[in-house]
Amino acid sequence: MLRLGKEVKIFDGGMGSEFERLGLDGNPMEYNITHAKEVQAIHRAYACADYITANSFGLNRIKYKGAYGLRELAMRAIENARVAGKEVFFDIGPTGAMLAPMGTLSFDEAYDAFAEIAEMTCELVDGYIAETFSDLYELKACVLALREHSNKPIFATMTFDASQRTLTGSTPEIAAAVLEGLGVDALGVNCSLGPKELLPVVERLLAATDLPIIVQPNCGLPVLENGKTRYTLPLEEFDAYARKFAEMGVSVLGGCCGTTPAFIERIAAYRGMPVVRQNRERTTMLCSSVRSVEIDGVRICGERLNPTGKPKLKEAILAGDYDYMVDEAVRQQEAGADILDLNVGLPKTDEAVTMAQAVRKIQEYVDLPLSIDSSSAQAIEKGVRYYNGIPLINSVNGEQEVMDRVFPIARKYGAVVLGLTMDGNGVPKTAEDRLAIAERIIAGAARYGIPRHKVMIDTLVLTASAEQQLVAETVKALALVRGLGVKTALGVSNVSFGLPNRPLLNRTFLATAMASGLNMPIMNPSDGEMVGTVKAYGVLSGMDAGAETYISLYRDTVAANPVSVAPAASGEREKAEGLYDCVRKGRKDQAEGFAREELKTRAPLEVVNDVLVRALTEVGDAYEQGKTFLPQLISAAEAAKVAFAVVSEFLPKGKTSKGKVVLATVKGDVHDIGKNIVKVVLESYGFTVIDLGKDTPSQKIVEACLAHKPLAVGLSALMTTTVASMEETVSALKQAGCKTPVFVGGAVLTADLAKQIGADRYTRDALEFVKVLQADYCK
Amino acid sequence: MNFSEIRPQVYTYLGYTSFVPDEETDDRILRALTALDALEGFRYLYRAYTEMPAFLRKSPYEEFLRGCGSVVLCVTTLGAEADKRIKLLARTDMTESVIWDACASALLEARADAYEKNFGEDRTYRFCPGYGGTSVADVRPIFEAVRPERIGVTLDDSNYILPSKSMAGIVGIGKRAEKTCGDCMLRERCGYRKEGTRCYDSAKK
Repeated sequence: MLRLGKEVKIFDGGMGSEFERLGLDGNPMEYNITHAKEVQAIHRAYACADYITANSFGLNRIKYKGAYGLRELAMRAIENARVAGKEVFFDIGPTGAMLAPMGTLSFDEAYDAFAEIAEMTCELVDGYIAETFSDLYELKACVLALREHSNKPIFATMTFDASQRTLTGSTPEIAAAVLEGLGVDALGVNCSLGPKELLPVVERLLAATDLPIIVQPNCGLPVLENGKTRYTLPLEEFDAYARKFAEMGVSVLGGCCGTTPAFIERIAAYRGMPVVRQNRERTTMLCSSVRSVEIDGVRICGERLNPTGKPKLKEAILAGDYDYMVDEAVRQQEAGADILDLNVGLPKTDEAVTMAQAVRKIQEYVDLPLSIDSSSAQAIEKGVRYYNGIPLINSVNGEQEVMDRVFPIARKYGAVVLGLTMDGNGVPKTAEDRLAIAERIIAGAARYGIPRHKVMIDTLVLTASAEQQLVAETVKALALVRGLGVKTALGVSNVSFGLPNRPLLNRTFLATAMASGLNMPIMNPSDGEMVGTVKAYGVLSGMDAGAETYISLYRDTVAANPVSVAPAASGEREKAEGLYDCVRKGRKDQAEGFAREELKTRAPLEVVNDVLVRALTEVGDAYEQGKTFLPQLISAAEAAKVAFAVVSEFLPKGKTSKGKVVLATVKGDVHDIGKNIVKVVLESYGFTVIDLGKDTPSQKIVEACLAHKPLAVGLSALMTTTVASMEETVSALKQAGCKTPVFVGGAVLTADLAKQIGADRYTRDALEFVKVLQADYCK
Repeated sequence: MNFSEIRPQVYTYLGYTSFVPDEETDDRILRALTALDALEGFRYLYRAYTEMPAFLRKSPYEEFLRGCGSVVLCVTTLGAEADKRIKLLARTDMTESVIWDACASALLEARADAYEKNFGEDRTYRFCPGYGGTSVADVRPIFEAVRPERIGVTLDDSNYILPSKSMAGIVGIGKRAEKTCGDCMLRERCGYRKEGTRCYDSAKK
């Protein structure tokens, strides 16, 4: 490890392709025992390198399912690698399973698998190389497992394809930022492509981090010959690129698929070359796994996911209704937020558990960076740990005790920290005193190894009604703090509290603050006028070059007031004639207006029965006769659902639902579109759906049925293999004494099969589900 | 990619039988196909064998491959982003989500078919385990041979392929064969057949 990053070091080359050359075609992990001599011979041939990679790429409990024990194979892999007499890096590859939410492997399961390997090997190796990862989230689990179980150096490399992204969509900049944040010792790219194709990726990595960069390309692009993969790039060409990489500032050179000891011997000539890196300016950047947001100019942080003053969100948090939170997150993303603040703090709840789950759920749907907002260090730690990217931590303040709690978390996970300019004595009155606290926070962060560009400062808005003269101090403090070279934030709408026409004050204050250096207003992104003010400032400040964004948004705005930046509905649509027609035509966007209109002249129950149900019946009949199709059926259901929600406001409590239905896709099955269609149609008829999602363990379905006592439980399975899981669920329900009728459906189900597995009803599609439910199970 | 050729397939997946959809749906389908294709997530990995892999030495694969000089095992996908978009749409606009879902299936079939033209004219259609009542578990040896984790495709314990818009298949090289309903397990109760259409090649019905 000596002089890593100062002078060029050499890693070894391809292992799998060497096995293939020897005609070995089994599980390479087992060669450590069955073909130890061959493995050792390959390692010896690579002894010209500084680092030898143990033959352990597929050694984790999720990937390796074979005759030998993991520990036994790991020990032998290390022993074999030791024969080369060089530093031995234990090789860690992906689990081969897909992480949730796309797959079913949880972050913790992946972490545990990697932790097991780290525990076994930490005393015996010189370092770890986690390589060929295509999912940054899985690599995060891996790096955390290694860091928390060993103190050996960690190199981490990912594969990128020709689009210069990983398969899960991360750019080189995002990968570099996240891995640097997690504290790896070197990062880079391996496998993927040949050196020529990797050149632009390497350039971007070098520009994105100061850490040593490692490059291990394949020997060109693969060519298929007689079912065998061949890599054919000539040695000279590979060598020329290796030289180029060294000259660009790459610290560690090696090879991947198709490279042989001859290649490594050749590029070992660059060992010891001084590594010259260009100095670069560090910027403040937040990111999800696929989207990075640099805090330059003005970036909107959505404030709607904070229960303070929002009774519905409060209710959702208490009920564990993460769907509500996700919907709110999606709304803010669509309205144009750049970052989302997430605060789930409520008394008498386990905030850390809620935060972890909310982060997982929201990042499933929304790719904006999150701001983890909490006063609890435990909740912050959970949120930041499960977040797939670089979040903002909101917040610390000038109190040493708070900084001591939060900075270690920010440092460990590479998060950016927002510092509030207040301390035990409250918010200082003058801008100068707030500047002093900001300086204290930045210095405190530095002591924990957190660089200045990872700190942002909030100079705190006080209400104009209570402390009018302090508003100007907040604005003045912004300019002073910007002088420290950090970016700024403010919770803008606090300013107008207790005064009439709050929007006017808010946007005027916002304009003033932006002009004084505000980078991140924390505000409601659905407020068109506030967003409009940000966009207008973009033009006036020159940041929106050529006013392009502004013009594209407001080209068609005639009236100056109110400004709307809601995205235009897709395509021109004819207006419906009344609620009945609106549902029939599936005009979801018009349903609320028509429902309110209708309620002026009719009783709520009349609206349900004479309008909504009748319209749905018309569409349903047409669907059954083959005169209308799935898209129209679902559109009508969605429109009716919106209308039903409006009508519900006028129905007495207890009459707002026709009853509950539990829905789930069974364990092992992850396709859920059919179940989702059933859900929408049920809801349109006024049923309440408890949706347990996909891959649902039978126990969870039993619990839901016992707890909710629904009218029916609907199970979906898409494949012959998961019908078994459906059968198991049915019998678990019966065993638990659950009398709830079981409806089953899905591509492979038939009435006969349903009977065979003990289900009560088979329904062909969503519509039949509703009909049977209404006819036979509703009183 | 010529989307108008794929559209009939999308209509079939959406349950359209004898009617041409309205202009609005038509429009949405075209836009969805364009957007999905613009994600550039299509990948195709394969491995060719001149000697039949062991798992294919049984019915109905033997019949299917009889007369073929070699066989291609393939895994193909539209990628994770397509799944993600469909899922997000399910929250904001279920109709759009269903349309995207159907479009993604049709687009993947079309993209894979187009790719397979590289294997020459004399080739069979792509037979995916599960067709005709074959065991879905036969995708596992295909995965072991092709190692599609390199294109981000994985197999879970119940033989589910992820991302969901992915296929694992078998293409025989050296003879021609086109899809028929002949040995399909759903033949007697197939909704498409009742309507006089097929789940494949809707344009040619």
